[in-house]
Amino acid sequence: MMSDQQIIEGCAKHERKAQQLLYDRYSRFLLGVCLRYATDKAEAEDILQDSFLKIFFNIEDYSGTGSFIGWLRKVAVNTAITHYHKNLKYRYHVDIEDYVSVETGITSFEEDFFTSDELYRVLNELPAGYRMVFNLYAVEGYKHKEIAAMLGIDTNTSKSQYSRAKAVIREKLEKLRTLKMKYTAGEEIDRIKENTENR
Amino acid sequence: MEEGLEDKMLGDLFRQKLEYGEIAPSPSLNTTIMRTVARREFFHFIPSRFNIWYAGAVIVAGTALTLILTSPPEQKIDEQIISIPSGKTITVTESGRSDNFSGVPESKPSTANPVKSGSRQIESKIASAETRLREEPSSGKSTSQASDQASLSQVSGTNVIPELTEDNNRLKGSIRSEHYIRASISQGCSPLKVSFSCLAVPCDSCSWLFGDGGFSKLKNPVWIFDVAGEYKVNLNVFSAGTKSVSSVIITVHPQPAARFEITPENAILPDDEISFHNYSDGAEKYIWDFGDGITSDLPEPHHLYRKSGNYNVRLIAISEHGCTDSVVVENAFPESGYFIEFPNAFIPNENGPSGGFYSTRSDESSQIFHPVFSGIGSYQLRIFNKGGALLFESNDISYGWDGYYKGSLCDPGVYIWKVRGNYLNGDPFTKMGDITLLKN
Repeated sequence: MMSDQQIIEGCAKHERKAQQLLYDRYSRFLLGVCLRYATDKAEAEDILQDSFLKIFFNIEDYSGTGSFIGWLRKVAVNTAITHYHKNLKYRYHVDIEDYVSVETGITSFEEDFFTSDELYRVLNELPAGYRMVFNLYAVEGYKHKEIAAMLGIDTNTSKSQYSRAKAVIREKLEKLRTLKMKYTAGEEIDRIKENTENR
Repeated sequence: MEEGLEDKMLGDLFRQKLEYGEIAPSPSLNTTIMRTVARREFFHFIPSRFNIWYAGAVIVAGTALTLILTSPPEQKIDEQIISIPSGKTITVTESGRSDNFSGVPESKPSTANPVKSGSRQIESKIASAETRLREEPSSGKSTSQASDQASLSQVSGTNVIPELTEDNNRLKGSIRSEHYIRASISQGCSPLKVSFSCLAVPCDSCSWLFGDGGFSKLKNPVWIFDVAGEYKVNLNVFSAGTKSVSSVIITVHPQPAARFEITPENAILPDDEISFHNYSDGAEKYIWDFGDGITSDLPEPHHLYRKSGNYNVRLIAISEHGCTDSVVVENAFPESGYFIEFPNAFIPNENGPSGGFYSTRSDESSQIFHPVFSGIGSYQLRIFNKGGALLFESNDISYGWDGYYKGSLCDPGVYIWKVRGNYLNGDPFTKMGDITLLKN
């Protein structure tokens, strides 16, 4: 088993084996990052491919001080941003005013109630601009100022996009919750029925 | 609930679930990425890996070698540098002929081309292959010598920066400016056809820029400059990794245009003195050939021909640079100078006989029956009525019939005319026809 350090050194020498190992070890994680920034898996894989090209050709840029996984994630996020800018004009623009903040009674979201697949789905369905800001702020933990610089937008735009993104997400999660409640409730009833019948 | 808390919880939810979320990529993505990486790496210079730069270096070295081997001995060869981007440098010096051709006797190509480099070391397999090939035509003895001299070492590219000799330092990477152009002509008249030859040996690729927007990749192109002007012809020679720039000035002089006009129109030879009006452009000297064996160098000559005939008049216009243009008027004085034609109707003046004298200006309303003519010597016109009676006779062409007979106007109707005589060149003519006398 090669250590990360060995893999990095091998990749710097453009060794096929090291590149393959790097891919095997981190492609799943990086695709997870990319999927948060994409509308579907195909787009996520496009971003992933570009990310790996960047990683393999610029691995010497990795200083070796920070965490390697953090560096990989940064490359993927930057690639996703590039991708977002490149495809900006082809995207379907959703009128921001269509998404008015919806106040819901829900104040907290149970962590285990939603699966990660569902959360990915929620993100994928977001308008691209909201998705970028939400990911960068909530998941990656960048400040609005940094996000504004990365996306080439105004800091206030970043903030307002974020709050609107949250509103949309909340609405989506709420719908999902109701659906799931019904579904699980139905399941429960079925199980009870089954149990009673068995008896 | 406070906005801040809710906010945090939503973010937390996504962060905890997705920050290190893993998704399995499609199996085909792995091969796609690896293939793309391999392709990029091929075009990307990486010292430790065979890529396009190595392939290019091999091709360059091979071409240079072929050129050296096939170049005829009389061509000048100074020095060729084969530099490979990885830093390996092969220097091939061809001594003897061009550098000190003065007193040194010409030796055979095989012995006159020792492979030398500053350090006597030829690095990389390419160079060693070259050494062997180069020495092929010579005897076996020198082959072994050459292999001994060449210490073969295959060194990995990253840490190889071979010691460059002074020679190499001077020439490596610099664009050498040497005169590799031979032009068949350096100036001339437009359109100027110039045959260029590239004297560089070896010459992996030539690129000619002719200065008028034209270019060629041929080694020895032929170019035609249509427009007058001064053109700087540039030749870029890429040989064995170095680029040489040569240039030559080609001056294309404008072509004059010869033009002239002859007066009088329909001149009658030999009576008329002919004037030649010169409308030529861009010329300063003229040569006239009147076609009867007489020439003139006046700009606008006059000439009197001694007899009638078909003459081809030629004008040669010569510009200050000696460019010439010529124009020939063939059969400058055609037979159209001799003719006589009659109308078929006229309206006499009812106010009384005029006597028949006319000129083309005074008889605009056709009151006189008369011919249009040119080159008439002798002439007799007679008019008859339908009964055959002679009504009018004139031996002077400037007198026509006024339509009166014995002081009274003839009746309208058809009359017969007959004319005979000689043209000025001696040819006789006889014509007859009818004329209708009309009344207003």
